[in-house]
Amino acid sequence: MTKETLDKILKIVLIVGVFTLPIWINSPTYLQILILLFFYAYLTTSWNLVGGWAGVLPLGHSAYVGIGAYTSTVLFMHYGLSPWIGMLAGGVVAAIVGTIIGIPTLKLRGAYFALATMAFGEGVRVFIENTDKIGPFVLNGPRGICIPLNESFWNFQFMSKVPYYYIILIMLCIALFVTWYMSRIRIGYYLNAGGEEPEAAQALGVNVAKYKVIAMAISCFMTGLAGTFYAQLMLYFYPKAILGLDFSFEIAFIALIGGRGTLAGPVLGALILRPVTDFSRIYFSSILPGLHLVIYGLVLILVMIYQPRGIQEPLNRFYNWILDKVTGNIEKKGVKS
Amino acid sequence: MRISGFPPVSAVRENEVKMDFIIQAIVSGTLMGSIYGLAALGLTLIFGVIKVINFAHGSCLMVGMYAAYWVVTLTGVNPYLALIVVVPLLFFFGYFLQDIVIKPVLEAQSDVREPTEVIIVTSGVWYILDNITLMIFGAEYRVVQTSITGKSFEIGEIIVSTPKLYGLIATIIVSVALVWFLKYTKMGKSIRAASLDREAASLMGINQYRVFNIAFGIGTAIMGVVGCVLLPFYYVFPTVGVIFDVKCFIIVVLGGLGSIPGALIGGIIIGLIESVGAQFMASTWTELIVYLVFLAVLFIKPAGLFGEERDW
Amino acid sequence: MKKSMKYGFIFVVALIFACSLVLAGSPAIAKTKVVKIGNILPLSGPSASVGIQGKYARELATEQINNAGGIKSLGGAKLENIYVDSKSDPTVGVSAAERLINSDKVTILSGCWNSAVTYPSTQVAERYKVPFIVPVSVRNTITERGFKYTFRIAAKDAWWARDQFEFLEDMKKKSGADLKTMAFVYENGDWGVGMAEQWEKLAKKYGYDVVLNEPYPSTASDLTPVAMKIKRKKPDVILLTSNAADAILLTNTMAEMRVKAKAIIGTGGGHADPMFRKNCGANAEYMFDVVEWEADLRKPGIPELNAEFKKRHGFNLSGESVDAYASVYVIADALEKAGSTDPKKLRDALANMHLDSGPAMIVSYDAVEFDETGQNINAGIVMVQYRMIDGNLERVSVWPASAARAGYEAVFPMPKK
Repeated sequence: MTKETLDKILKIVLIVGVFTLPIWINSPTYLQILILLFFYAYLTTSWNLVGGWAGVLPLGHSAYVGIGAYTSTVLFMHYGLSPWIGMLAGGVVAAIVGTIIGIPTLKLRGAYFALATMAFGEGVRVFIENTDKIGPFVLNGPRGICIPLNESFWNFQFMSKVPYYYIILIMLCIALFVTWYMSRIRIGYYLNAGGEEPEAAQALGVNVAKYKVIAMAISCFMTGLAGTFYAQLMLYFYPKAILGLDFSFEIAFIALIGGRGTLAGPVLGALILRPVTDFSRIYFSSILPGLHLVIYGLVLILVMIYQPRGIQEPLNRFYNWILDKVTGNIEKKGVKS
Repeated sequence: MRISGFPPVSAVRENEVKMDFIIQAIVSGTLMGSIYGLAALGLTLIFGVIKVINFAHGSCLMVGMYAAYWVVTLTGVNPYLALIVVVPLLFFFGYFLQDIVIKPVLEAQSDVREPTEVIIVTSGVWYILDNITLMIFGAEYRVVQTSITGKSFEIGEIIVSTPKLYGLIATIIVSVALVWFLKYTKMGKSIRAASLDREAASLMGINQYRVFNIAFGIGTAIMGVVGCVLLPFYYVFPTVGVIFDVKCFIIVVLGGLGSIPGALIGGIIIGLIESVGAQFMASTWTELIVYLVFLAVLFIKPAGLFGEERDW
Repeated sequence: MKKSMKYGFIFVVALIFACSLVLAGSPAIAKTKVVKIGNILPLSGPSASVGIQGKYARELATEQINNAGGIKSLGGAKLENIYVDSKSDPTVGVSAAERLINSDKVTILSGCWNSAVTYPSTQVAERYKVPFIVPVSVRNTITERGFKYTFRIAAKDAWWARDQFEFLEDMKKKSGADLKTMAFVYENGDWGVGMAEQWEKLAKKYGYDVVLNEPYPSTASDLTPVAMKIKRKKPDVILLTSNAADAILLTNTMAEMRVKAKAIIGTGGGHADPMFRKNCGANAEYMFDVVEWEADLRKPGIPELNAEFKKRHGFNLSGESVDAYASVYVIADALEKAGSTDPKKLRDALANMHLDSGPAMIVSYDAVEFDETGQNINAGIVMVQYRMIDGNLERVSVWPASAARAGYEAVFPMPKK
């Protein structure tokens, strides 16, 4: 068979496998690990729209996760509004906040943008930590919100992990689709140009700034949706977990290691790094706490020095090499089909 | 929209705030602020010269504090004597950090004036340092009893904390020394030249990477001083650097990147906001004020109070 | 390179990952005749020293029970403890609870010291209908949600606050001191904010004028502004709720700034931590602290147990360790009465418990019984005062009178130095 055929078969196996996984994996623990993995993959893919395509380094994205979570939960607790609708509301609020923040900050260069997003992220966290109520809405400050048990589809609460699995999987697929689609239409090209050669792009009359803000808004909307998902999965969240600098950095790191600006990079980063976190927490947390962060840091540095485009590049080549070997095709060095 | 908890009880109840307390707040704020300024000094030097955003700055402070802690605990000397060990230790630490970790990134991006990869790499260093410390020393908060812990003296009605006063003195000494170094020594002048244009400086025969290493080393050595200064009154734990890290960045931007007086004055401003601000609202809100001030500066005058205009 | 092939390599990674999943979630091999208890404790992070005390205490009790024959109604089954580090992080606590229930298949859960961790973790147990014993976390709402599977041994924070105020009333009568104004200074987390709410209610009830309500961030680098505010307001009474590190910083800063009051009362936690004693020295003298237990209580069995504990670990028992110790006996008693590891039967045994004998009775009260909300109705507290005795800072029980150390009376109000 040819390389292309083998490749297609593997892809189909992968997709079928992922979608039918809950049939042959029953343990809630495994499912939880996978759910969190897809959750991070979704977050990094959303982040990628700004951090990858728009070419800047947002380090405060956890703020939008938090905004999404708080919005939908507050609406649910106060008005009984179904979190499904609250999710969309949360996404919209996050997008609005993101746009307001984006307009002035996206004008700043590299490092300053990063610092500004950090400051905003921390600012949101401090604000919520200090606020018990906004008008009639209870935020509970640093204590966080615990969602009462009330299992039903409309309440977005399920006893089993399986529904959560499919929901986040579908969300991830949608996020990937949105990213792919955007890269093929004008905005993708403009952002690409804007990232690589901003002066040239501007000289050609491309309003790079406008497209950056649009990318920011979409990214923040999607990130907000993830916030609601998290809230409904855990049924509890509080500012330091969902709004922290650590969370923002983790999202950015994973995307960077995987490879920002690419479609597969963020997912790949999550796929490889999340198990590291889970293992080191399960097996090492009493002997060597924080090991997974040391590994993150090391991998990050090595990747930045040797493979700034992320590990998706060498992995890609490796995959193609394997396919070649298996299908007996030998390609001349340097000639790519 | 009513936010409970803001404005808090204390502001609503007080009709007038006595002058003494304001003066006391100003004094305390200035003392603490000068220490913040000292910490920011190292960062502004590194950023001004190497154009590197060093997210591992707070972690270097943490290393300095642990070094000072162990020297004092093992030998029982006065923390200021510990400077003799800590400062050179941190200098070499910084020197090699720049040489081994950051230089390769700079070399790969030698045409870009401010590579953002460096931010990422230094973040990696931060994570590694903090967590290796966590693994080796554990998460407990360590406190050291020194001869000056908890001491203070009174000038009239105003109480001055002794360890913090020493901090102010240390700041003054270090700043003066730094200015003298940059202005009058050969290495100092090379550093200033490289900060203006590293390509031109290298054409002039200055080994830009060696200069960077030394500048980084000096920046970290200053953090060693801060570590010794903080030891008498603050606690040592693996993530102590994070709080100072964020503050230092804010101060550096506020004061202007690369500006020494900017770092010091920026530090004092932050110290005053925290100290005087806390008299009018719950201290948990002053953090937010600091972030708002930071953002205001970023948008209105990104070059900071004393910085030069650049094409941001 | 064809674009369609570009992303297929994810398959390779997914394959590797699938293998790694086997490692990540592998459940423990089931052993016969063992009852597993899942313990979620802060074994690292700022509360590590307390978490570790809890672990040691549980180990001691488990060893004693197992050596005495285990759970007889289950054929001599031994108790086995599984410990998970919560790092004082609620999210970790929640995942730990899920894993202990689903993977390790524990019969009962215990933990978590930090109220912020206990609150959501008990909800996980309620979701899966597994009993959860809370030895120490004080936040009221833990037992106020209508849960059927949560049982708490220590007192609620409302009761701690109530006892703090009753102590003040007693002292007012005894010493004739005039107490009008109060300041609340507390850490800005779950616990502190919860205590402050209780204080507000009680201050109103007893007619105190609250001149300062000051939350502060537990990780603040400088508490001088807070100390200054206290000084400015000149309160008669200062109520504190702090974690270990900030308790030390605040006490030393208050000494530095020469802050004085007629009474300063802590709420356990940081003020009860051995590190506090070590690092504040004379600065903490005459401060009061409220705890569920102190080593100088006059109850049988305490000196022997304390000596044993001290021999093994080098320090005295504390409120946390005693509650943890008692909790294992509570679990054992419930297992005996239920005669099975079925969660519903176990739950009912706990609900109907009346444990008033055995080694668990070194607690400051006389019986463990739970009301319909799962709260131990007899839980009480003891007020101690820091005093310099022979050059060492010691905690001396001073109130209520039945618990006070022989020969010591509270020094009230605090003397002006």
